[in-house]
Amino acid sequence: MLQNFLLNILLTFVWVALTGQLGYTNFVFGYALGFFILWMVNKSVNASTEYFYRVPKIFAFILLFFYDLMKANYEVTKDVITPNYNMKPGIIKYEMEAKTDFEITMLANMIALTPGTVVVDLSKNKKFMYIHVMYLTNKEEFIERLSSRIERKLLEIIR
Amino acid sequence: MNDLLIKILSTLGAVFVLIASFGVFKMPDFYSRLSVTIKAATLGIGCILIAATIHFAEFSVTTKAIAIIFFLFITSPVAGFLISKVAYITGTKLWKDSIIDELENDPDSNCTNPALPKDKIKKE
Amino acid sequence: MTVEDYIAYIVMPIICLAIFFIMLRFIKGPQVVDRVVALDLLITVGVAFITLFSIIVNNPLFLDEAMILALIAFLSTVAFSFYIFKRKRDE
Repeated sequence: MLQNFLLNILLTFVWVALTGQLGYTNFVFGYALGFFILWMVNKSVNASTEYFYRVPKIFAFILLFFYDLMKANYEVTKDVITPNYNMKPGIIKYEMEAKTDFEITMLANMIALTPGTVVVDLSKNKKFMYIHVMYLTNKEEFIERLSSRIERKLLEIIR
Repeated sequence: MNDLLIKILSTLGAVFVLIASFGVFKMPDFYSRLSVTIKAATLGIGCILIAATIHFAEFSVTTKAIAIIFFLFITSPVAGFLISKVAYITGTKLWKDSIIDELENDPDSNCTNPALPKDKIKKE
Repeated sequence: MTVEDYIAYIVMPIICLAIFFIMLRFIKGPQVVDRVVALDLLITVGVAFITLFSIIVNNPLFLDEAMILALIAFLSTVAFSFYIFKRKRDE
């Protein structure tokens, strides 16, 4: 995993040094090229392939996260611009699957960056999270969506 | 072409910032104000910084813009979490139409404050 | 209409309107935490203001100040919340 990543970075720098253009587009192109080369090589050697599944998953998660962010931003914007309120706020208790401090921090960051939700507190044994939600039409549905859409995919990436 | 892109991105970012500030002005209680604030402003500043990178088109400017976006995306949720926790501890009330509050008098949480009488923290 | 004119005459007034609304909340805010949130948002809008200004005068040096402000906004919020928490606990 780490070895593959470092090899990929090394190939990127070799590409940038050979072409001689110091720019972000060149970096991204070199990274993609290095990824492709490593993928081809690794198929023939039959070594650990975890890295090659993880990188596309990270990009898929970023795209999904931005889609969610846009959708929730639209709801909040509608409520801000129109004069009456149609929100149903409440604080719910959410049981996390995340165990270590790093996983909890990343999960709290993701939840806080989605509009309409704010993390208020953690419980003492670090098992529950208290989330303030602005549009709480159905509590079970919200918890189900949060755990399946955000948390499980995040844990797949960072574990 | 680049000029048109810069104009569109900067206008979009300014509109996001305007929505965030109008939300802060209009929303009725503290927690919804906070949840409107954090991301709309972060998104707007991201758009404006991308416009700046397109306008200057230099390596150093792009690095600075990426650093600013990274700082904002890392620090603003932490700041929001801290201030909301402190607000709950000091007894900020939820909105009057709130439907549920599972944090109230929960023995697991860190927010139960022995200095306050219990019925002062409740929602209006 | 050049980019500089467009930003100076159309985008900057929108940002100024945003600062006006935040200042209203800052003056009105019923509690200290509301004012802290308004101040945090004000500094964040300041980062946007500096970035747009650096586009208008065509000088990328101003982005350094924007970076430092983005860090100071976080520090000020943490310091304020720590202070409010201490004051509540000592009562």
